[in-house]
Amino acid sequence: MEEFKIIEIKKRVYENNDLKAQTLREDLKANQTFMINLMSSPGSGKTTLVVRTINLLKEELKIGVIEADIDSDVDAITVSKSGAKVMQLHSGGMCHLDAGMSREGLDVIDYKNLDFVILENIGNLICPASYDLGQTKNVMILSVPEGHDKPLKYPKMFSKVDVLIISKIDTVSVFDFDFVALEESVRKLNPNIEIFPVSAKTNEGMNNFINWIKDEIKKWNEV
Amino acid sequence: MHELGIVIEIVKQVEEFSKSNNINEIDTLVLQVGELSGIVPRYIEEVYPIAVEKTTLKNTKLSIEVTPGLGRCKSCDFTYNLFQNNNTCPICDSNEYEVLSGTDFMIKEILAK
Repeated sequence: MEEFKIIEIKKRVYENNDLKAQTLREDLKANQTFMINLMSSPGSGKTTLVVRTINLLKEELKIGVIEADIDSDVDAITVSKSGAKVMQLHSGGMCHLDAGMSREGLDVIDYKNLDFVILENIGNLICPASYDLGQTKNVMILSVPEGHDKPLKYPKMFSKVDVLIISKIDTVSVFDFDFVALEESVRKLNPNIEIFPVSAKTNEGMNNFINWIKDEIKKWNEV
Repeated sequence: MHELGIVIEIVKQVEEFSKSNNINEIDTLVLQVGELSGIVPRYIEEVYPIAVEKTTLKNTKLSIEVTPGLGRCKSCDFTYNLFQNNNTCPICDSNEYEVLSGTDFMIKEILAK
């Protein structure tokens, strides 16, 4: 009788996704399209921030938004009123997107004719941290009501993003949010992270984020 | 449902591998899961029977090897298990460290003929 034998595979589980994401990133680069992967908890103010960002940039850039949710298209409807090109991805119960889904979204909004794409990921700080979606930069939002101790609970997410936006700073007096403690714990995980405190409601601090986007787009489009 | 989606993807990859290597019968699939990978072996085991149903991996066994999440303390250089010590050095109490191992998540091998 034939015996079972050990056959080595030695393949990283995320390898297929990472390869797809890399190809996607090269396609975006070739078309001079800059894409951010925007991640946060549910209720952090992602959609409000996206709408404000579009309003501040739509005169100079052609912008597209990919909305991702487990179900519903309420966010896509809100964002479409801002004038950007929007499509809604449904993950069908899954808690994260993969590079195949982001490719699908980019094709629908016709990324080749866009300068700037915001991929609004599913509201979740755990699973999306493991998936490369082909983005140029990873941006995360932490809202003041969530508390300054969140980096201790979700270290993986905080350690992999390029930018941390602290949103809803207009509510800071209500929540005793400690910016110093937050920055200290975040920098321990991620020394080079950019931190932008903003209020998408009052517009406070928004310019810093907008200028960062413009600078990064310039860098991305340089050969 | 994080784990189910991941396991379905793993099963697909193993099926492709078996097809291109002319493997007909798999007895066991061996995964390697790091303690710091964010993947919980118990959940993988729970969803495995559902993920392999209606695939060629139906009736196969799953084996998970856990690799330790080791880190080196940045203040005293001591190497310790981050997962068991809650990311805090048992010698000097510092929580600044460099990760040495345990972030991996791999399809390691199959037992097959």
